[in-house]
Amino acid sequence: MYKLVLISKYLRRKLAPMFAALAVTLCTMMVIIVISVMGGFLDLLRASAQRLSGDVIVSAGSFTGFPYYQELIDAIDALPEAEAATPIIRSYGLLKLGDRNNPVEVEGILPEGYDRVVGYKQSLYWTTQKMLDAFDHRYEPPLDEYEQSYRDKLAEQDLVEFGMTFDPPAARKQRAGRDDLDAIVLGIEISPRNQRDEQGRYDINRSSISDDVTLTVLPLTSEGGVLDLEIKPRPFAVVNEFKSGLYDVDANRVYVRLDTLQKMLLMDAWEKLDDEGFPTGEKTQPRVTEVLVKAAPGVPLEALRRAVDGAVRKVQRRHADMPVLFTMTWEERHRTLLSAVQNEKGMVTFLFVIISVVAVVMVGTTLYMIVLEKTRDIGILRAIGASRLGIANVFLGYGLAIGIIGALIGAGLAYLIVNNLNGIQEWLAAWFGWRMWNPQTYYFDRIPDEVKTTDAVAIGIGAVISCVVGALISAFIAARQDPIEALRHE
Amino acid sequence: MSKLIASNLHRRFREGGQDLHVLRGVDLDVRDREWLAILGRSGSGKSTLLHLLGGLDRPTEGSVAFNGDDLFKLPGGKLDRYRNAHVGFVFQFYHLLPELNALENVLVSSMIGSSAFAWPGRKRAARQRAAELLGRVGLAERLRHRPNKLSGGERQRVAIARALMNAPDVLLADEPTGNLDADTSASIIELFRSLHAAGQTIVMVTHDDAVASAADRQVTLVEGRLSTSAG
Repeated sequence: MYKLVLISKYLRRKLAPMFAALAVTLCTMMVIIVISVMGGFLDLLRASAQRLSGDVIVSAGSFTGFPYYQELIDAIDALPEAEAATPIIRSYGLLKLGDRNNPVEVEGILPEGYDRVVGYKQSLYWTTQKMLDAFDHRYEPPLDEYEQSYRDKLAEQDLVEFGMTFDPPAARKQRAGRDDLDAIVLGIEISPRNQRDEQGRYDINRSSISDDVTLTVLPLTSEGGVLDLEIKPRPFAVVNEFKSGLYDVDANRVYVRLDTLQKMLLMDAWEKLDDEGFPTGEKTQPRVTEVLVKAAPGVPLEALRRAVDGAVRKVQRRHADMPVLFTMTWEERHRTLLSAVQNEKGMVTFLFVIISVVAVVMVGTTLYMIVLEKTRDIGILRAIGASRLGIANVFLGYGLAIGIIGALIGAGLAYLIVNNLNGIQEWLAAWFGWRMWNPQTYYFDRIPDEVKTTDAVAIGIGAVISCVVGALISAFIAARQDPIEALRHE
Repeated sequence: MSKLIASNLHRRFREGGQDLHVLRGVDLDVRDREWLAILGRSGSGKSTLLHLLGGLDRPTEGSVAFNGDDLFKLPGGKLDRYRNAHVGFVFQFYHLLPELNALENVLVSSMIGSSAFAWPGRKRAARQRAAELLGRVGLAERLRHRPNKLSGGERQRVAIARALMNAPDVLLADEPTGNLDADTSASIIELFRSLHAAGQTIVMVTHDDAVASAADRQVTLVEGRLSTSAG
C-alpha cells in the first residue's frame, strides 16, 4: 500500500517525472502519428491500386494488345472464382483542353462491365445532386433569371448516366455539328481550373464538363511503329469527371468508350487486304490490351490468379496467333510502388523507434536522479521494515505510472492531431502559406487521417513497457542500497 | 525476562584501505520494560550497536537473539518483518519522509506491515491509532503538516509516534535529543519517561550523561567493548 502512496506523492511533488512523462507523451504521439499516416497512406494506396486494376489482370504487355478477348472473358466468366471480367485498352494520347495540350493516359472501357469490376460508377464525381449542391453553395438566393435557368438545366441532366453511356446530350452534338460526337470522362485534376475549397469541394463553375476537347492517339503496328496513316485529333464532349482518390490517376487519366478507342487505335475488326490491296473478305479480330477480373466473394487472390491463368492457357491453345499473355494480381502489378511505400513506412517507423529509445533513456535517467535524491527515503523505509523488493517496486511502479500517463496523453493527442490533420494543414496553409502534404508527391489529395486502435494500443503498451524497462536499473540500484549508508546520505 | 540478547558482537568496517574494528565482542541483555541508555564518545560504535540490535546492519561475528531466534539467521522477509513489527527506530535527524504529512508519516509503518488487499480493512483503525499517537506526543493540531512546516522538536515527536505505530517490543532511539535545544530535549525525555512508565522497553544511544541519567540502566562503549556505568 505504501508503494502506491509514495508513487502518487512522488508523481505530484516533482518536476522531473513531468518531464519524463512529457518525453513519453511526445514519443508515443510521434510514433502513432507516423504509423497512422504512413499506414493509412499504404492502405489508401493498396485500396486505390486494387480499385483501379481489379483483382487480377491479364495483359499482353504491349500497346497493340491481343485478340480473342471476348472468348477469354467468356471462359473467365465460367470460372466459379471470378465474379466479373471486363476488357480495356490502356494507351496514351494528347488531350487538348482549351489552349493546353496534355499528355494523358487513355482508357477505353465498357462502362457497365468496368463498373462491375472496379466500381467505375462510384468514381464519377458529378452527380446531379452534387452539381446542384455546388451550385447552391455558390449562388445565394434570390437567383436571377439566368442563374435560375442554369440551375433548372442542371437539375434536368443525369450526369452519371452521361458518364455511363458516353452519349453526350443532344445540345452538345448540335453545338459541335456532329451526330457521332463521342463523350469523354476526365480525371478531376486534369483541368487546371478545377480547384477545391476548404471543404474539399470542387467549384461547379470551374468544372470542365461543359467543355469540348480533342484527343489524339497513335495507332501502333505490332513492331511498335506508328501506323502510316493521317492522325487527326478527334473531338469529344466532356460529360463528367471522375475522382479515384489517387492523385496521379485523377491528374492524368481519361476514359472513353472501348469501341471508340479501338477505332482510333485501329484495334477494331477490319477486313484484311491481299498483297495487291484488294479486300479478302476475311476480318481481323478486335483487340484490347488488358482484361480485368474481379474475384468472387471470399476467393483468395492467388486462387483467382491460378484459375484465370488456366482459362488463358485454354484460349491460347485454341489460337496459335494469340500472343503470350501474363496473368498477375493487382499486388504484383503495383509491387514496385507498394514495396517502396512499405519500405518507407518501415524505415520511418524504425527512425522514430530510435528516437523513442531516447525517451526510455530519459525516463531511466530521471528515475536514477530521483533514486539518488530519494536515497535517504530508501534508508528510512528499509529501517521501518520495507523489503528490497518493496523498494524496487516503488520505482518500477513509478516508471509504470510515468509510462501510463505519458502513453495515455500521447495517444489522446495523436488521436486529436491525426483526426484533424487535414484541418491543421488547411490552417497552416491559410496562415503561413505552407502545405506539408503535396498531393502531386503523395498521390492522394488528402492526408490519411485515421488512427487504427490496434496500432495505438500496441504503441501505448510499448511505451509503458519501455518505461518499466527504463526504470529497471534505477529500481535495482534502489533495492541494493545499504540502509545504513542510505540513512547517512546527505 | 530478556527482550534482546546480543552475544559476542563484532563489527569491522573497511574504509580508506584501513580495517576498523568498531565492536569487539559486545554482550548485552535488554530486559523487558527497561530503559537502557548506551553511552559513549562520538565514533565509539553506539549507533552501530543500535543498528545491529534493530536488524538494520549485520555483525561480522556474533548474534542478536529476539524471542530466542538469531536475527541474522532469519530469512530476509522475516528480518524486514522484525524491523517493522518488533522494533521502532527514532533517529537523531528524525528521518521523516518529506512528501508525506505527519499523519501519513506515522501511518506508513502500518502500511508497510499490511498488504494492499488487507489495508482497506485496517485503514480506519490505523488512522485512528496514528492520530491518537500524534495526540499523545502533543501534535493533535499538526496532523496535516508536512515535515518542512514542523519544528525540530515536533519532527522528533512525529518520528517517535511513527516508531510506536506498530506497538513495537523495543524502541531504539539513536541520539533522540542530539539535534534539539535544551528545552525541547527535556520535553522529549519527558515523553520517553511517560512511554517507559507505560511499559515500553527503550534502548537509547546518547553521548549526553544528563539525558542518559533518565534511563534505568546505563552502559558505556569504550574501545568497542561495554562497561556497565550505573544500574
